[in-house]
Amino acid sequence: MTVLVPLLIALSAAPLAALIGTINRRATAPAAVFLAALSCGAVIWARAAGGGTFTRPWSPTWHLSFAFTLDGLAILYALLATGIGVAILIFAAAYIPLHLAHQGRSQADEPRFFVFVLLFMGAMVGLVMAQDLILIFLFWDLTAIASYFLIGYDQHRNEARTAALMALLITGISAVVILIGFLLLHWQHNTFLLPEIIQQATPGTTHTVAVTLIAIGALAKSAQIPLHFWLPRAMAAPTPVSAYLHSAAMVAAGVFLLGRFYPLVHLSQELLNGLFVVGLASMMIASLLALVRRNFKPLLAYSTIAQYGYVVVMLSFGTAAGVFGATFYVLAHALAKSALFLTAGAVTESTDIDDFKQIGGVGRSQPLLAIASGIAAAGLGALPLTIGFFKDELFFAAALARGPFYTAVAVLGAALTFSYVWHFWSSIFLGPAKTTTKPIPLAFMVPICILATLVLLGGIIVGPAANLAIAAGQVSFPALVAKTPAYHFDTRPENLLALATYALGIGIVITRRWWYAAVERFAVFGRQVGPERIYRASLAGINRLSRVIVAAELRDLRGRLTTVLVPTALLAAAGFVTTPTEGAYRISAFGWQDLPLALALLLTMVGAITTTIPRSHLTIVLALSSVGYSLSIAFAFFGAPNVALIMALVETILTILVLGVLSLFPHDVLIREHTWQEPRSLRYRDYAIGIIAAIFAFATAWSTLSQPAITGTVARDFMLMAPEAHAKNVVTAILADFRGLDTLGEITVIWIAFVGMLTLLRRRQVQR
Amino acid sequence: MTTMTRAIAKMLLLPIFIVSVAILVKGYTSVGDGFGAGIIATLGVLLQYTALGSAEAHKLPLVAVAPRLGLIGLIIALSVAFTPLLRGQPIMTHFPPPGASVLHFGTIEILTAVAFDIGVFLLVFGFAVGTIDLIALAHDERIAQQGADSLEQQIKDEDR
Repeated sequence: MTVLVPLLIALSAAPLAALIGTINRRATAPAAVFLAALSCGAVIWARAAGGGTFTRPWSPTWHLSFAFTLDGLAILYALLATGIGVAILIFAAAYIPLHLAHQGRSQADEPRFFVFVLLFMGAMVGLVMAQDLILIFLFWDLTAIASYFLIGYDQHRNEARTAALMALLITGISAVVILIGFLLLHWQHNTFLLPEIIQQATPGTTHTVAVTLIAIGALAKSAQIPLHFWLPRAMAAPTPVSAYLHSAAMVAAGVFLLGRFYPLVHLSQELLNGLFVVGLASMMIASLLALVRRNFKPLLAYSTIAQYGYVVVMLSFGTAAGVFGATFYVLAHALAKSALFLTAGAVTESTDIDDFKQIGGVGRSQPLLAIASGIAAAGLGALPLTIGFFKDELFFAAALARGPFYTAVAVLGAALTFSYVWHFWSSIFLGPAKTTTKPIPLAFMVPICILATLVLLGGIIVGPAANLAIAAGQVSFPALVAKTPAYHFDTRPENLLALATYALGIGIVITRRWWYAAVERFAVFGRQVGPERIYRASLAGINRLSRVIVAAELRDLRGRLTTVLVPTALLAAAGFVTTPTEGAYRISAFGWQDLPLALALLLTMVGAITTTIPRSHLTIVLALSSVGYSLSIAFAFFGAPNVALIMALVETILTILVLGVLSLFPHDVLIREHTWQEPRSLRYRDYAIGIIAAIFAFATAWSTLSQPAITGTVARDFMLMAPEAHAKNVVTAILADFRGLDTLGEITVIWIAFVGMLTLLRRRQVQR
Repeated sequence: MTTMTRAIAKMLLLPIFIVSVAILVKGYTSVGDGFGAGIIATLGVLLQYTALGSAEAHKLPLVAVAPRLGLIGLIIALSVAFTPLLRGQPIMTHFPPPGASVLHFGTIEILTAVAFDIGVFLLVFGFAVGTIDLIALAHDERIAQQGADSLEQQIKDEDR
């Protein structure tokens, strides 16, 4: 049960914060920080308590279970999600009120931000701990939904909404791809439990296809080329969102999934090759594009794509060194990158500038910020005495083991990182002061300094970070044994490669003037033919298709009914064709005791026919409800009082609701429909359709009722079981006990429908 | 609406609730269940809407919190369904189990199945009353809008 503590705390954080937000808006931010810190503490406590697993099947028929584990991999990513979450939330507590005031928005929007950040955090913790494929999918989608609301937080801005939708579509569609992969795995292994699948897995075509689908989804989440374009767009989000989702959490979920499924990924060399190509392309192209960004956050976004490209490349090596390097890299990158994002946010908030051309010399007025973000930048640029040095050392070690080509690629990639990080930091903090700066609140400085301290500490005492990464790597690659990296003052290849990287990086920085135009042309070319164009074109195409379908189906009520009834009729007709009709139409005896029932049914019939005559909507609704009431009487005579009661009540509430909705219709539409004279030809056609349909329904009903009564039905079992369930009323026992799960599903649907209605009608009222 | 109608409608609300609660708790031993009880209670509230007008009915104690009651109902039903998991039983396992003796309170049986039904009752009530309230609000607003439009038209006509 230890293992459930961090999970439950993290999952309950968002509802708790929402509750606190409704009581006291100002308390939301401190509460959110506290809840995130509590979750982080719970992860650390559970790690000290030995982690463990929790498995409880809840639907054995479908092989579904609540299965969670707190292994090394889960600990690493859960610590990232909760720990960096704390830093982000401290920053956001000061940032969001300023941000809202800046945009002239109501401060009432504030709690929403914290609730969604915590929801995201909870979903991440759930995702990293889940061992059941369906649970993994659910938490995966929950992160996508939370990120949609976070990226689209500035909902009045068009670009924020577009970016949020893009992120949701790309990661949501790829989630469906993942689900297909999961179902394939289930089909092959007959279980949804990941450990069992890993035990049984053997290489093969189905296996490769399934794992490739999962990998595609993971790569889309980690914003790897060619599904990377949502990430730069997502920079429309408020800075804390970018710092959290786009450095440590959402994009990390992609490589986490690769790590989680690595024992399966590892079995397919083709897939590893594919990963290498994607990772390499992301690393190189995104690094180049990062070099020529004009604004702070887009540079960091492309840098994130590139950095996760490294991770994917290392995973593609399929070696212990590669896996260790990849997990360590995720940790080091997350710390440094979130600090840099927060720096960008702090600088923009204090100067109102987010353009490299207009900024400069901020270091003169903000020396502490310059130092802290300098450490973070050094961490990303892999300078010694920072945790980043080791991330590159491990990268070089893994590449060296693979061969000279990989080594050259590694050095080039690292040099590009070095130069765009330098560009980022030097443009902001060095040079003559170009702008005036407002003082930076303490809540901005604290998280940046904490993260920078961690980057520095990790570079001096590398043990704890390395242990985390080794434990995580062993989940992905059980045979992993690794030494804690350390500084060696000798001419080993890794050190030489690091020196070569710095030299090459400085070279790239110095020669900026000569290559700048060419790289920029490349960026423009990418915008013109890149995958984002395909995305936009397919979105437009889907919109057009949808419009065509809507026009065909929803043009009028007739079209609507046709799309439902014609397929139904075809199915019923197929039933007629394939079933023998012998003895299907019998007329049984009619006694006097049946007379009340027959009269009630006659009443129903009259009501049904009456419904077809009037044109006034009110009359139609009332006539229709009279059919229901007569049927209820028929049930009462038939000896089913419970059904009769429910039928009458259902009919009542339905009529009331339909009348209520009718009252909301525009009056002129109702009057136009009411007074419209149907042309004679159309009227005959309608009669014909109606009569044919009636005959059809009649024949179907009659043939069903003529069948000899089936003995031993489930209904009889229910009758027998009712006393067992302490029930004298079998209908209630069916609803609440025997088929209770159905009822549960139904009332959940009712609630969801109600929430939808609440949102739609309330929203309309707010807009007025 | 006359004073008489208003008075009678108000007086009827409590008896209707009592009937609905009776149908609810006795659902396991005689005709009725949570769904029916929820609808009957809703009809009582609807009577208030027609007699008192939506503005006044909206302020009635149970109406104002109806959506919240619905959520509470869903939570009750979900917890009845999922609590057995903690004891290692399949979901929707009711207590007391078959064969065990049941606590009686008059003719009422105390069962988790009845608790589930109470959840259904609250949800149906919350949904139906909430929907009626939403429709009534939207309706009132439209009438107000029409009034404003015609007033505007009048002013324009006068200006001319």
